[in-house]
Amino acid sequence: MSESLLKIEDLVIHFETDDGTVEAVNGINMQIDKGRTLGLVGETGAGKTTTALSLLKLVASPPGVIKFGRIELDGVDVMETSEKDMEKLRGNIVSMIFQDPMTALNPVITVGDQIAEAIMIHQKVSTQEAEEKAKEMLEIVGIPGGRSGEYPHQFSGGMKQRVVIAIALSCSPKLLIADEPTTALDVTIQAQVLELMKELKIKYQMAMLLITHDLGVVAEVCDDVAIMYAGRIVEQGSLHEIFKSTKHPYTEGLFNSIPNIEDRRAELKPIRGLMSDPYNLPKGCTFCDRCDYAMAICQTEKPKRIDFSDTHFTECHLYSKDKDFKIEMCKKED
Amino acid sequence: MSTKVDAIKADEINKTKKRSQSADVWKRLKKSKAAMIGLLIIVIFVCMAVFAPLIADYDTEVIKMNIPERLQPPSSEHFFGTNEFGRDIFYSIVYGTRISLFVGVISVGIALSIGGFLGAIAGYYGGKLDNAIMRVLDVLLAIPAILLAITIVSALGSSIINLMIAVGISNIPGFARVVRAAILSVKDQEYIEAAKAIGAKDHTIILKHVLPNSMAPIIVYATLKVATAIMATASLSFIGLGVQPPTPEWGSMLASGRQYMRDQMYIVLFPGLAIVLAVLSLNLIGDGLRDALDPKLK
Amino acid sequence: MSKYILRRLLMMIPVLLGVTFLVYFIISLTPGDVAANILGVGATQEAIIELTEEMGLNDPVIVQYGRYMGDLVTGDMGTSYATGRTVSSEIGQRFPNTFKLTVSAIFLSVLISIPIGVVSATRQYSIFDNVGMVIALIGISMPSFWTGLILIIAFSLKLGWFPSGGIDGFSSWILPAFTLAIASTASITRTTRSSMLEVIRQDYINTAKAKGVSRKVVIRKHALKNALIPAITVIGLEFGVLLGGAVLTETVFSIPGIGRLMVESIQRKDTPMVLGCIIIFAMAFSLVNLLIDMLYAYIDPRIKSNYS
Repeated sequence: MSESLLKIEDLVIHFETDDGTVEAVNGINMQIDKGRTLGLVGETGAGKTTTALSLLKLVASPPGVIKFGRIELDGVDVMETSEKDMEKLRGNIVSMIFQDPMTALNPVITVGDQIAEAIMIHQKVSTQEAEEKAKEMLEIVGIPGGRSGEYPHQFSGGMKQRVVIAIALSCSPKLLIADEPTTALDVTIQAQVLELMKELKIKYQMAMLLITHDLGVVAEVCDDVAIMYAGRIVEQGSLHEIFKSTKHPYTEGLFNSIPNIEDRRAELKPIRGLMSDPYNLPKGCTFCDRCDYAMAICQTEKPKRIDFSDTHFTECHLYSKDKDFKIEMCKKED
Repeated sequence: MSTKVDAIKADEINKTKKRSQSADVWKRLKKSKAAMIGLLIIVIFVCMAVFAPLIADYDTEVIKMNIPERLQPPSSEHFFGTNEFGRDIFYSIVYGTRISLFVGVISVGIALSIGGFLGAIAGYYGGKLDNAIMRVLDVLLAIPAILLAITIVSALGSSIINLMIAVGISNIPGFARVVRAAILSVKDQEYIEAAKAIGAKDHTIILKHVLPNSMAPIIVYATLKVATAIMATASLSFIGLGVQPPTPEWGSMLASGRQYMRDQMYIVLFPGLAIVLAVLSLNLIGDGLRDALDPKLK
Repeated sequence: MSKYILRRLLMMIPVLLGVTFLVYFIISLTPGDVAANILGVGATQEAIIELTEEMGLNDPVIVQYGRYMGDLVTGDMGTSYATGRTVSSEIGQRFPNTFKLTVSAIFLSVLISIPIGVVSATRQYSIFDNVGMVIALIGISMPSFWTGLILIIAFSLKLGWFPSGGIDGFSSWILPAFTLAIASTASITRTTRSSMLEVIRQDYINTAKAKGVSRKVVIRKHALKNALIPAITVIGLEFGVLLGGAVLTETVFSIPGIGRLMVESIQRKDTPMVLGCIIIFAMAFSLVNLLIDMLYAYIDPRIKSNYS
């Protein structure tokens, strides 16, 4: 238990707007241990970013409200922590990098200053020392330290993301939250940035929460995977368990949506329909309308959690009677 | 299935889309109480202007001097009192609405057509034409708008037409800039390239594709500019250019009433309030339109 | 940076030339016989013809313009038709008053509007914000000459706190400066607020918060600098409006400034004076815009690198 760096229990977050209430996060449980990387996978609107922001207590409020739940970060109860104390944690114990590097940096402050700022807030060093450290960080992410006096617009997208990473890691956080860090980048640059993140993960012995919708990225970097749909974690397990013994139909849908390089003539199998209206979630299973395996009970009752191992669980009615049920893609594996 | 039928279907779909687009904007505009209040006020003003003769007879109530009843405070007979010539202030304001709205709208129309045309070709064709037009506009912009209008009216003489010309010309560079910016933001969109690729002529592209999609900021700007045009009209009349007494105009009423304002405050209070309300209502509508047309919200 | 300034200064010259040409041309359209007006009623036909010839008024407009420009370069703006004194001396005498008025008005505006705009944005939808924005909306809808009259009635005639006009002493500047400042304050407040609201939604603000930067520092260091960029542009534009407004305010408060001079000269058909006033206004406006552009380039590094 003392190994866990992050522990989320029954987290519920709503957004109360003029047009109604958005049930963004509907009771999720998550645990990340020291040095492990958890991939949080899901489509846009599944609640991933909201979950991540809540860890730093940065959910915009209004209209966001954390209705229920407990978040424990490095032993600290986030809900009970004051804003002032949260500021001490942010950038220091836990860092976050955001999706779009093009807009994540302040255009009127030099990159060196933006890195040094984080250092000066959390460490008792002089301005000069912070500037030196900032240059070092730039070198670590592969940018010449001499460029610390330049402004963000003078860097390319990939380099901007490296600067963002430098800022996030400047105080050696124990947990790094990366919200779709490579989505906005070209494929080749994606690969470079992922490599960099893998290196730094080992170097800094960091735990990481990697938010993405790209299973390829997950396979590259993650130890554990959690699949999120409409505010709930519908399946979670180790990388091997998720990829090799997939349980939830949604996870299967995600895998099927990836084009098969080996069989060029095979048809793409997209998940039909769209995610449910977050203002008006259905009574039963939220994936019901889009599920090929849907049964009558799925419409009326929310599925319960079924555990397959210490690390692997899913929420689906298919397994409540028969734990050995196999979905299509796993049948081929036998 | 001939392509003609498909084209007709596509056309109908487009028409319904446009209709529902305007209906959509109207729906969003209604949400803003402020904008609706503004709309109500301006509608009242328009009614006053249109139905002025029904409210009061021009010659007897507004123009004719009535010295025995001069400088009367507001009463049931004279809602806002009478001025130094005995003319009813309320009726003068009602007739003054005609001038303010008329000059306001026409001058913006002039500015929009000339300025808009210049801005459109500058933005669409770019290059040397753009440069040349913008340099000329820079000269106009170097003179504060009111001063330019003052210069023009002082040269041409005081009349309603010259007021419209002066205020209109002083607004040309502003419209040129806004239209140019709107065109620039739309010009490089892919649907424009697509239209060019199928061989559409330039003026078709501008009229059918570029302008409709860039209308939003232009409409907002035009609304706000009618407000400033009304203020400019009043300002010019106040300093003696523009409308001359006895023709009722809100600004000139303030100028002539000024000497009596110590003891007859109502002489300057009410015409001024009329200006404030008219300008305020247009600003409210303009703000509401800006929010309703903004694709980013919702 | 200095290259940028030099470039902008050079660009100012053709613009100002254009202004002088445009204004000269417009004013030349004024109907009426100049010589006849100067000599007044009862002047003989011969005297009028002689004066017209003497003043070179029979030459084509272009030639007259050329002569005017030639004189202008040496600082000679001609002689007033009305007073007989040189235009430059009249303007020179009045300039300080207009300067004091407009500068104090813009100063006042910026001082009040930026903090209010920032607070309104950071406390969006609060009572402060809502009330503030209503007041601002009314502020931009009030014509300055009417505001001036109302303020005079209230604070001068009824309460007697301030003089109703003229320039004796410090207290006589208070009402005019406030009158002039109201509309621009309202406008700058609105712009600052909307610009601040946009900036707060930007990703880099989240990045700053995620670093552990405290809220106050986020606003001051990260948001404000970015939000000021569009606000500064508006301040420049408002200065132009202020110059126009000065004309009205000086009339209302009987301040002997260039604005009032211009109005009186128009009424007296004193064309050289009108011309001189406009040119001074245009030059002042252009200089302010240049300053604004320089400030812009100083604050926004993206502009600086475009011109280095």
